[in-house]
Amino acid sequence: MHDGRPATAEIKIRNVVEDMSLVVEFVEAFGRTRGIAPSVINDLNICLDELLNNIISYGYDDRRNHSIRVKIAINGDELLTEIEDDGRPFDPRKSAKPNLAGDLQSRRLGGVGIHFVNRLMDDIDYDRSGRYNRLTLRKKLRT
Amino acid sequence: MQIGVQQVGAVTVVELDGRIDSTTAKSFGDSLLGVLKPGQARVIVDFKNILYISSAGFRALLLAGRMAEETESKFALCNLTAEVNRLFDLGAFTDLFVIYSSRDEGLTKLSA
Repeated sequence: MHDGRPATAEIKIRNVVEDMSLVVEFVEAFGRTRGIAPSVINDLNICLDELLNNIISYGYDDRRNHSIRVKIAINGDELLTEIEDDGRPFDPRKSAKPNLAGDLQSRRLGGVGIHFVNRLMDDIDYDRSGRYNRLTLRKKLRT
Repeated sequence: MQIGVQQVGAVTVVELDGRIDSTTAKSFGDSLLGVLKPGQARVIVDFKNILYISSAGFRALLLAGRMAEETESKFALCNLTAEVNRLFDLGAFTDLFVIYSSRDEGLTKLSA
């Protein structure tokens, strides 16, 4: 992986859904230039979609502009992703187990997003420092 | 994401490519509701060129499935890639939909 390209990249977006496609492109480009398997990149993009959408939709008590920072790094055989935001404290590790039961009519419409993150990533770490949430996602880069 | 809608005999085929995520789920859902709403429709969604579907997309699919029941429409999915199939399994969505392995199979079944 050490081919002269920095193993870390970062993007900052505003707390608006329209900016989320910038993150998708950013992650795609990171994966492409560093030869990461498309399946790993897709998994990360799904998780970022779930987490950023949560932050943007439910994370803020005011209507002001905020920025959200996403940092990706390759660390040995791991893909490490950090999300930092100044929204309400939210530890996804503590969110309720999803209710996946029911038929088409009775099935709950929400609640599966964090479940996807838990299943698609190998490890999730959360830390609140000052007024910032910092979420760290880890995914093994298997060959 | 691109959405194409075409009529093949009695069946409406909704063809997509790209990602179904928070950004695109609304237009995905609106397209499905648009073809289902008139009632007694026969609709198949071709997932062949879909990279992934996030929870926002599954929400749109659930709403479309409910609309299909209400409007007595036939609603099916086809051509799920292994990756997309795994997401259906992870979220326990597989049993909620009629899923065909190919578009031809789906067209035959829905035309009957």
